[in-house]
Amino acid sequence: MYAWVWRHLPGPWPVRLFIYLVLILGIVAALFFWVFPWVEDTFDINRVTVG
Amino acid sequence: MAVMAGALGELMLTGGVLVLLFVVYTLWGTGIQTAAAQNDLRNQFELQLDEVDLDTDEDEPQAAYEGLELGDAYGILRIPRFGENWEKIIVQGVEDEDLKNGPGHYLDSADPGELGNFAVAGHRSGHGEPFARFPELQEGDIIEVETATGIYQYQLYDAPDGDSDGNKIEIQDSWVADPVPGEPSSAEPSESLLTLTTCWPRWGSSHRMYATGILISSEER
Repeated sequence: MYAWVWRHLPGPWPVRLFIYLVLILGIVAALFFWVFPWVEDTFDINRVTVG
Repeated sequence: MAVMAGALGELMLTGGVLVLLFVVYTLWGTGIQTAAAQNDLRNQFELQLDEVDLDTDEDEPQAAYEGLELGDAYGILRIPRFGENWEKIIVQGVEDEDLKNGPGHYLDSADPGELGNFAVAGHRSGHGEPFARFPELQEGDIIEVETATGIYQYQLYDAPDGDSDGNKIEIQDSWVADPVPGEPSSAEPSESLLTLTTCWPRWGSSHRMYATGILISSEER
């Protein structure tokens, strides 16, 4: 799947590499800002209150 | 077949990286937001102190808490056992959104210095992990709370005492935060207590852990 993405990116290899890195960075940012906080809240993995 | 195996391998690698990233998020990512929030809360608390100095109403010291909304700065918590200069800003409320920013004051519990139980919950892992070293708390330890109304010192009489399973309780054991722990929640308090709660185990939430102390000195503003 990673090779498939690489083949479908436009431009010479330095441009492809740049686009690839930006893509990965975007996905990691989305995980940190939205996905992981949602996982934490939804699955009750970090509660500290009684009752 | 080889293509299938390759794709499966990539998927598994991706899954592994996702789990690792989640660990990074919990250990470190959540703390960045908390550190920024603690800075904002400290400024907010200092503004509150300025206001108290301007219009001190000595008959109604508790009025200082009435304007507080969920998530507002409530006071400063100091625990020398966690470090000589260890202090965190307490927020009003114990909803997830509040506890992300710092230790939170149980809304229904007493205010510091009042008769009853001043109860505070805090994270032990992630979100700045204010109570990371919770099991190290010993009976006799001093916990200091500074709010708009004064500075209050409590001495723990019930603590984990260095036992990583010490004072472990069930999630439903809300009696620890009652006005008189161990009595019906309607019991009339005659003492000023402080109770801290956090999670057990450190990296999970199946149980809770607590420590309780009694007011030994207070210095009203």
